[in-house]
Amino acid sequence: MDFTFTKKEEKFRTELRTWLEENLPEGWLEGKRDLPEDIEEYSRVLRDWQNKLYEGGWAAIAWPKEYGGRDASLMEEIIYHQEMVRVKAPPLINYIGIHMVGPTLIDMGTDEQKEKYLKKILTGEEIWCQGYSEPNAGSDLTAIKTRAVKDGDRWLINGQKVWTSFGHVADKCFLLTRTSNHPEKKHRGITVFLIDMDQPGVETLPIVQMDGHKEFNEVYLTDAEATDADIVGQLDSGWHVLIALMLHERTGIGAELFTLEQQFNDTVKMSQQYKINGRPLIQDPMIRQKMAGFYARIRGSLLNYYRNLTTTLKNGRPGPESSIDKLVVSELNKELSSFAVEIQGHHGVLWDQDAPADSKWQSLFLASFGQTIGGGTSEVQRNTIGERVLGLPKDMGR
Amino acid sequence: MDFSLTEDQEMFRGHIRKMLDTFGGTQVAREMIENKPENLKKLYHTLAELGCMAINIPEEYGGLDLESLDLVPTYEELGRSLVPGLFMETNALAVPILKKYGTDAQKQNYLSAVAAGETHISFAALEPFHDFSPQGIQCTLQQKDGQYVLNGTKILVPEAELAEAFLLLVRTSGDQEDGLALVLIDKTDELSITKQASFDEAKHVAKLDFTDYTITEEQIVGEADKGWANLQEGLLYFNAALSSYMVGAMESVVSMAADYANIREQFGQKIGRFQAIKHSIVDMKVHLEIARSLSYYANWVADTDEADREAAVYSARTYTTEKFIEASAQNIQIHGGIGFTEEIDCHLYVKRARYYDQYLGSTPFYQEKVVASLGW
Ligand SMILES: Cc1cc2nc3c(=O)[nH]c(=O)nc-3n(C[C@H](O)[C@H](O)[C@H](O)COP(=O)(O)OP(=O)(O)OC[C@H]3O[C@@H](n4cnc5c(N)ncnc54)[C@H](O)[C@@H]3O)c2cc1C
Repeated sequence: MDFTFTKKEEKFRTELRTWLEENLPEGWLEGKRDLPEDIEEYSRVLRDWQNKLYEGGWAAIAWPKEYGGRDASLMEEIIYHQEMVRVKAPPLINYIGIHMVGPTLIDMGTDEQKEKYLKKILTGEEIWCQGYSEPNAGSDLTAIKTRAVKDGDRWLINGQKVWTSFGHVADKCFLLTRTSNHPEKKHRGITVFLIDMDQPGVETLPIVQMDGHKEFNEVYLTDAEATDADIVGQLDSGWHVLIALMLHERTGIGAELFTLEQQFNDTVKMSQQYKINGRPLIQDPMIRQKMAGFYARIRGSLLNYYRNLTTTLKNGRPGPESSIDKLVVSELNKELSSFAVEIQGHHGVLWDQDAPADSKWQSLFLASFGQTIGGGTSEVQRNTIGERVLGLPKDMGR
Repeated sequence: MDFSLTEDQEMFRGHIRKMLDTFGGTQVAREMIENKPENLKKLYHTLAELGCMAINIPEEYGGLDLESLDLVPTYEELGRSLVPGLFMETNALAVPILKKYGTDAQKQNYLSAVAAGETHISFAALEPFHDFSPQGIQCTLQQKDGQYVLNGTKILVPEAELAEAFLLLVRTSGDQEDGLALVLIDKTDELSITKQASFDEAKHVAKLDFTDYTITEEQIVGEADKGWANLQEGLLYFNAALSSYMVGAMESVVSMAADYANIREQFGQKIGRFQAIKHSIVDMKVHLEIARSLSYYANWVADTDEADREAAVYSARTYTTEKFIEASAQNIQIHGGIGFTEEIDCHLYVKRARYYDQYLGSTPFYQEKVVASLGW
């Protein structure tokens, strides 16, 4: 057992830390972290940040050097996340491009696709979204109805996508379509296309989320166009592409865990400020017990993540146990933010400008409901763990 | 960074597991219910032969001079089969305390005997009608004519019949923590030991009564008025060990549940296909893995001076006891009617979970320690 970082890793940390201190937006480190309300402005600021990361060589550290990355090790990625969380760095608007689409293209894209897209992902010139879910296909993506039909030398795509995160700011979409029917094996006959979001056949309508934000969208596809050159991997084998893409998300949960840990430390500070019967909340035995409970769970989840990471480092690939991490982090996040609002008592319901300190907790509380749904619901995660880790019988219908 | 047990440690686990299987798994615990400790004694003898008791003892006393972490596989395996006995009280409580605070004579005397598997040390702290706090310790140790005299009663003393010695927490003065001492006494015929009934019948507990029982100054471990503080140090090791033991027990519970869900059929299918069952086993598994990570870390951190040492150990203890109770209870539900019988092992785990949850402090008690150690 050894929790130390190597000299090389420490050097990497210092290098990144120094760069961040010099390059974060003006006033950011001191706590001035307001991002524009207006979506155009917001997107511009974050694209600029993405570009700055690119110029500093920090846009996609896990990518191979030849494509503009740093060939970073898993440990370096962990350090990267830790440092980004430490300075509360601006959100990564091209998350999907950097962590999912890019690596997948490097892995299975054509030379032409790599040439065309990779650099623009890094610079933030092209933002990506993922078009998987549909009104009748969420947990079960084999039920997608969006169809791509060959028409001469182009493909015409018709259908509707939903819950498309970043769809409103995205330039490109990693789109799941049906290209042939296999009633018995429904995961066959699915094809991934890389399509333009700003073409006439694509209409994006924002959906108002329960937290008032509009970060995901409906996307209507009416004779949207693509060509053979836009297919990722083989025709009809989009399912493999999808699975490959998911495996590329090597350390994302780690980033969420570090954030969770930081948020927990913030709740500690808050419970030292808020008073109950004239005494700081943190002195209340019930609160203390709950805090101890969260401490144990958050430390435990983080340690468990490290243990799974160690297995990954040793085996060269993540084991099925790592599916535990996503379930744990999203459920824990939901409970912690709920607790953070709860301990504010009547102040807890105040919102926006009237929220006591800032409305961070209220926002986190509301946003947390998305985390146990997006990226696969907790129920679906439990199925995966039950079947792949514990060897329990398969769920109905499969 | 490497957060895992070494190959050697895992290999050692394999030996212990095989050995325990030859003893019939929970069979040894079941025999204790019938007051038949013969196989348990044999098992302890084999553990000693395998070197388990020598692991964390310095070489000069015949030990292997290894770390707490090297004991983890043994704790987990003993937990899997719910093996009772004094392994943890001896190696994870008395040994660290002796190593840190014992006199040369005490070390020579006890550490060598523990390493050789000749001495098992039980722990006597709790008293009737009191909690586990400094104020709860009323059993007195008083100086009289150059000798020391013990008076009072200790309850819930584990496996007194297997012990060769007892580590005692006693009051020397006042009613605060600085008036407490740790003493080591050997078991003799003069000791008044009465068995107490425990609902975890596989875990024997006893009452020790002391009436003007004399001991010598040489039997005091560490500075006389530092008993409570020194005990806290020992309890870090003990609670780290206990969390590993419970992780082992929980692992057994989870695999029992999963195995049963894979064979039992109702409504024409395996019950493991019902998500109410599947998801509940998954939750048990998730908690098990988190508990395991906490307990690995707790045992590692015990031997260091990391800042989060106490918080880590006590959070391992609280999380693990809590989840062990939940999982062992849910295991009965998953087994249906047969889960409620004595025949199947389910109940043994529930009882042990409850026993340990309330042994030497409860979950809220240790949660308070977590928070306090973080300075909140
Ligand atoms: C914040 C957020 C961002 C998202 N971003 C994107 C995105 O960028 N691109 C995209 O394509 N999609 C996105 N999604 C969609 C997301 O992937 C789906 O919402 C999710 O997979 C669930 O599908 P659904 O909404 O159709 O719910 P359903 O699948 O209809 O599920 C409804 C309920 O049934 C349960 N359920 C379904 N199947 C099973 C089963 N087999 N066993 C047990 N219970 C089951 C679910 O757990 C849930 O409780 C996003 C969602 C959210 C909340």
